[in-house]
Amino acid sequence: MHLLRFIAGRLVVYALVIVFALTVLFFVPRLGPTDPVEAMLAKVASQGAYMDPAQVDKLRQSLIDTFGLGGSLWEQYGAFVNRIVFSADFGPSLSMYPTPVMELIWNALPWTFGLLLSSTLIAWILGNFVGLLSGWRPNSNSSRVMEGIAICLYPIPYYILALVLSILFSYVWKIFPLTTTIRGAPWSWELVSSIVWNSFLPAMSIVIVVFGWWVISVKAQTSALKEEEFARYARLKGLSDGRILTAYILPNALLPQITFLALQIGLMFNGSLITEILFDYPGLGLLIYTAVLQGDFNLLMGTISLSVIAVATATMIIDLIYPLLDPRIRHR
Amino acid sequence: MISIDNVTVGYGTAGFITAVDGVSFTIGSNEIIGIAGESGSGKSTLMRALYGDFSTGLRIKSGTVTGRFTDAATGKAIEKPSSQFRDLWWDQISYIPQGSMSVLNPLMKIEKQVVDGLPKRERGGSRRELRARIAKFLAGFGLEENVLDAYPHQLSGGMRQRVLVAIAAFVNPRLILADEPTTALDVVVQKKILLMMVEIQRRLQNTLVLVSHDLGVHYQITDRLVIMYKGRIVEAGRTAEIFANPRHDYTRNLIASLPRLHGQRAVDRVGAGA
Repeated sequence: MHLLRFIAGRLVVYALVIVFALTVLFFVPRLGPTDPVEAMLAKVASQGAYMDPAQVDKLRQSLIDTFGLGGSLWEQYGAFVNRIVFSADFGPSLSMYPTPVMELIWNALPWTFGLLLSSTLIAWILGNFVGLLSGWRPNSNSSRVMEGIAICLYPIPYYILALVLSILFSYVWKIFPLTTTIRGAPWSWELVSSIVWNSFLPAMSIVIVVFGWWVISVKAQTSALKEEEFARYARLKGLSDGRILTAYILPNALLPQITFLALQIGLMFNGSLITEILFDYPGLGLLIYTAVLQGDFNLLMGTISLSVIAVATATMIIDLIYPLLDPRIRHR
Repeated sequence: MISIDNVTVGYGTAGFITAVDGVSFTIGSNEIIGIAGESGSGKSTLMRALYGDFSTGLRIKSGTVTGRFTDAATGKAIEKPSSQFRDLWWDQISYIPQGSMSVLNPLMKIEKQVVDGLPKRERGGSRRELRARIAKFLAGFGLEENVLDAYPHQLSGGMRQRVLVAIAAFVNPRLILADEPTTALDVVVQKKILLMMVEIQRRLQNTLVLVSHDLGVHYQITDRLVIMYKGRIVEAGRTAEIFANPRHDYTRNLIASLPRLHGQRAVDRVGAGA
């Protein structure tokens, strides 16, 4: 009963967060001075086509219809909520008219998701492993070296690291491709290897930057937990170092790291922006970039909403599974 | 069982800070021996040296701590200095820590924490049989079987301390060292746990070393008592004799500081020249 109430409460909060975010997303662009319809008309006019005023009016009317900008603000809002909630429809892209925004997002999503999920996970696992060992034996040479590397890598701005990698490994030594071109029939080996080959450098750039952060935070966790009374008690029980590390330190050190991981996964849609621009990678980040440059309101709405939903979902999932990981906050 | 011969123990590698200064006594088998003294008297340091816990810079500067045990499986005699007691931990020797909230792993069920570290001889049988034996053992401590499936935070302070005593006793060791095992508890729970520890000792016929600053605790259960002050032993002997006829001023002060139910209030002797 307690559990049901907890889950229900969490779902209500989840829904409220998304509704609130979408509402803000709806109103903010409409409070601004730019008008997408006029911008579109100006674009048409700038291409040198002559149109008589009656035609322009007709075009304006049809654009207002397709963009969902007719009627009062509240009518627009009602129609907007209706479209999003019941058909997950963000309308057509304005810059790649008439392709629907959802189609563009669905095409880009697997790329971003695959790249960022795998690189975030790799960095997380590596970072936790190295951090755990160097926190356990802070005075060993290998742990000093690893910590030194982590501290050197951690403060490098991401775009510099990515540029350096890109220049070194695809321009000076032409090992990896400079821009992303995927080849191969669907589900063929060639396609898979082409994806891995093209994603390697962008993935590495993310792993390297995030890795340092994980190492430092897990190391601090581990060296604090090592001095905890339960670790001392386990040692005085004569348990082996391996046993103490895996059964006593690791589970306790991982708890906060799992929360951070979930937040990272939620935030990765935003983080992908620079990676995808620098490596010309066909994901969501590149889509957001295009949307901003071209004033594509619908596309922007779609991509940002998606990132809001992703963050909210990741946090909710963590909230729901955390009691399974930590018995102290279990609901009975 | 253990002979402590003119041992000086302290901390630090470059400089040396003496905590226990030239202490000698012996610990026999089948007895309860108490080590008493104020904070900083060196009793906990001495206990760590007895247990062989040489971490955080603790070391023996001179003298020896030697243990004599009998291997349960082969019946062979084992003689080791305390620096090698690590091989005997949770086999011949076990330990009861002061039970604070964080002594038990917060993410591990009690059953697993009892089993973790057990020597092979106590692990016999299937997991089910082992669990049944542990449950029966815990019942002797007034703990129900569902405690095995609980996490530490679900137990009260008294229950946690009983679990710690049970964990150390289930090992079936020849020597149990207890470091302030009842300090954080109220008097009623304290009494219960002390009686349990006596009962275990009488049943296993092994040795219990109890470190506590509380002379009341020592009076209740110890056979022999060692009183420490400023790193030295100021008095040692049978507990009853020490209480009946304390020889050293410090001991008299300690005894006088106990609250009394009858008779006159003891004169304030604190600072009366120890």
